[in-house]
Amino acid sequence: MTTSYDASPPLDVIDATVPLAPSQATRTLRLQRDKVVAATQGSYDAMFSPTVEGLSVAERLLVALHACSVSKAATLAAHYRERLLAEGADRELVAAVGSGAPVADARLRTVLAFTASLIERPIEGDKASIDALAEAGLSTPAIVALGQLIAFLSYQIRVVAGLQALAAAEVSP
Amino acid sequence: MTTPIRIKGFTNEVLSWKPWLDPVVVAAATPAQLAALDEMSPQARTSPYFLVLAHQPEMLLQRSIAFNAIMFAPGGMPRAERELGATVESRVNGCVYCASVHAQRFEQLAKRSDVISQVFEEPASAGTTAREKAIVEFSIRLGAEPGKVSADDVRMLKEVGLSELEILDLIHSVALFAWANRLMLNLGEPVFPAAA
Repeated sequence: MTTSYDASPPLDVIDATVPLAPSQATRTLRLQRDKVVAATQGSYDAMFSPTVEGLSVAERLLVALHACSVSKAATLAAHYRERLLAEGADRELVAAVGSGAPVADARLRTVLAFTASLIERPIEGDKASIDALAEAGLSTPAIVALGQLIAFLSYQIRVVAGLQALAAAEVSP
Repeated sequence: MTTPIRIKGFTNEVLSWKPWLDPVVVAAATPAQLAALDEMSPQARTSPYFLVLAHQPEMLLQRSIAFNAIMFAPGGMPRAERELGATVESRVNGCVYCASVHAQRFEQLAKRSDVISQVFEEPASAGTTAREKAIVEFSIRLGAEPGKVSADDVRMLKEVGLSELEILDLIHSVALFAWANRLMLNLGEPVFPAAA
């Protein structure tokens, strides 16, 4: 370690998962939209806040892992896998959700099916899907939290993909 | 008034939206819920969509800040082109309600609707200039196949004159509508004005 520069932590989850180095032009560009940077991390924090009721943090992280795996967003999937393991989630469950293998728990199965559908085929959203979540035991605030979370992940996946393309163009303009 | 556009189920007319979940009742809303609604817009307290989202006030608050920061940030990509990116993403995802709102905003800002008709008809070939075609093409790609967006796509935008800040603004706008469309499409449905 020769400089503290190399050791400076990433600005936020987006920086860490693109990833963007502190000195990189794309990172400097990103900071020109500092309000977007702050609101993106603020949204991430809200999506995984322990104070959100109706859906546990572990359930939300499993949704995120599944959404990113389905979207083939590898660096984001790795981020959520790490968070799950750090929270003490069951390794077999994490592996199953990451690979799309069936899970035993009926509630989780319903939530993950909704996740994949909303990520891949948002046009297929219908009232029956919402009713199925309610029947699986999700309250109205929990369903809103789940919808917001999956929709936010769609945003996060595209911000990371766009920044990765900008960073790649920076290397070979 | 100009003739409304109605193409393939999409329109630039003003639509309503009916939620599939009970909205928060304003009179019973918490201070956090009211603050999140007011952060979005002065009209949010009367919108069924925002009143449903108010069930999770912190999520709505942050989303509202992100929305306004992306769509209204000064400089960078002209606001009309951000609205175009939003309309293309909404068209590709099949979000009739979002497409109508942002088609209207594009028209208000650009004073024309030619490209909107093209986007509704066939997004893949839409655009009245090389710059507009490149913006539409990139929006479709980032919306539909984010994992395949590459340095080549960025170069194509630069070739038609977009600055890096404009490209970042477009990325944010398309990504934001990947978010908004999924809420609109999955928590309720558009309601068309009564047939004349």
